[in-house]
Amino acid sequence: MSNAAQTSATGLAVDNVSFAYGEGDTILRRVALEVPEGQFLTLLGPSGSGKSTLLRLIAGLEAPTDGRLAWQGATITGPGIDRAVVFQNYSLFPWLKVEDNVALAVAKAHPKLSRAERREKARDYLGRVGLADAAGKYPFQLSGGMQQRAAIARALALEAPVLLMDEPFGALDPINRGKLQDLLLEVWQSTSPRRTIVFVTHDVDEALYLGDRVAVLGASPGRVLAQIEVPFERPRNRARLFASPAFHALREDIAERLDADVLSGLAAA
Amino acid sequence: MSESLALEGEALASPLVDKTPRQGRSAPHSGLFPALLSRLPAWEAVALWAVLFLAWQGSTYFIDQSANPLLPGPRIVAEALWESLPELWKGTVSSFFILAPGYLLAVAAGVALGLVAGIVPGVGRGLFPFAKVAAPIPPTVYIPYAIAVLPTFHLSATFVVFIGAFWPVFQNSAAGALAVEGRHRDNARVLGFSRLETLVKVVFPASLPHIFSGAAVGLGFSFILLTVAELFGANAGLGRFVQYYADFADYPRMVAGILYTGLVTWLAMTGLDKLRHKALFWVR
Repeated sequence: MSNAAQTSATGLAVDNVSFAYGEGDTILRRVALEVPEGQFLTLLGPSGSGKSTLLRLIAGLEAPTDGRLAWQGATITGPGIDRAVVFQNYSLFPWLKVEDNVALAVAKAHPKLSRAERREKARDYLGRVGLADAAGKYPFQLSGGMQQRAAIARALALEAPVLLMDEPFGALDPINRGKLQDLLLEVWQSTSPRRTIVFVTHDVDEALYLGDRVAVLGASPGRVLAQIEVPFERPRNRARLFASPAFHALREDIAERLDADVLSGLAAA
Repeated sequence: MSESLALEGEALASPLVDKTPRQGRSAPHSGLFPALLSRLPAWEAVALWAVLFLAWQGSTYFIDQSANPLLPGPRIVAEALWESLPELWKGTVSSFFILAPGYLLAVAAGVALGLVAGIVPGVGRGLFPFAKVAAPIPPTVYIPYAIAVLPTFHLSATFVVFIGAFWPVFQNSAAGALAVEGRHRDNARVLGFSRLETLVKVVFPASLPHIFSGAAVGLGFSFILLTVAELFGANAGLGRFVQYYADFADYPRMVAGILYTGLVTWLAMTGLDKLRHKALFWVR
């Protein structure tokens, strides 16, 4: 098994990764995933499946107890500005104006810019997510949806090839969630080359609407139950997609796998 | 009328939440009145001041004011205060040049060392056990030694003020750095911040609530130590003023000095509180 570490040199590789906090319970067991460059992967799983932990491992915020993670063939040993992260509802520093929050990321992507140039670039990014008017406000003056827009702008401003998102729309109302999903797709599709995205969610519809591929995780311990290619053409039309039989069949299939995992977990306990 | 009263109550309760002008409501004073009301102290506080003052004034009926009493009445004290103002002002300036350098140096050193001890484990392991022993020592006990060892009174008093303010600032800053939320650390890390950047851009602002608590306690200690040090060996200053006239049994001036010192202390504390309010606008 010495060839186990052989991973493709491009894209993101999660190679038989296990994780536990100290001597505690195993959170992830032998997770293996590959995300080709430019792909939009959604990580779908119930709570306890370790999906957020897996994202933190990819971000380099945690180190695996076993196995290896790599981006473009290079082992991930810590956080790096080649991987931008959007957290569920706490990506911004509350003591800085929105534009200054974004400018922090601009400064990392373009260290040589002057302060004024950074601000201008930050406003550019805020304009792209529809927040041009809120640049001078503080995070606590914004709604949850606007804060997540700003967090996306900050992640984009890092100009990282990898975008990691941890249930970024989980705390939003359905209307705002839909708007931000479309915004994310629009931004992703309009840049070339496309970013590699790993998007954590517990919402089956969201996983299917956004992803090129869905990795379904089971709980206790977290592991990959299935990897499902999402065959729908882009750009996707939400209403038509959600009404199509193919979408329902896929949805059903995933729900059944998740239910089976819950039942087998109960039987084992 | 009852409607406008309810509105005022609402505006008072949540001055930050809703700042949209209430148009179309016919309460001509509803804009100015709550703003004015919120600046006034509560009536209970006013009542306490009034009771205390009346008790003081009332005491003059029972204490003979012509025999240099230990508690002179308000009018005599007011006269003494008025006459002493130039001297008190000179004393304030003299005290300020001890307090300001000692306190500001203590805040700068306390914040810097406290934050570093909070985020660099090795420094913390070295400093915290020492702080545990050194911090509880009442700083007043250093005064005689400082006066004996250091070449001038000004220097020794500044040193004592420094020590008094340093530990509370240090301890609160360290507590603030240790309490920085994981999310802020995560964000600093994914943004690729260096250790120094994390300290300056994340740990320092995130610790400001703790730092201001320490700074307030430290300022209180500074005034105590300043005045106590001045009792020992100063030739000017607020503490020295009170001590000097007490030695001559000039109680009107002594009481005037106490009241004046109280006022100066209150002003300094209020100034710090205003600064805190301004700096911590983002804390909910």
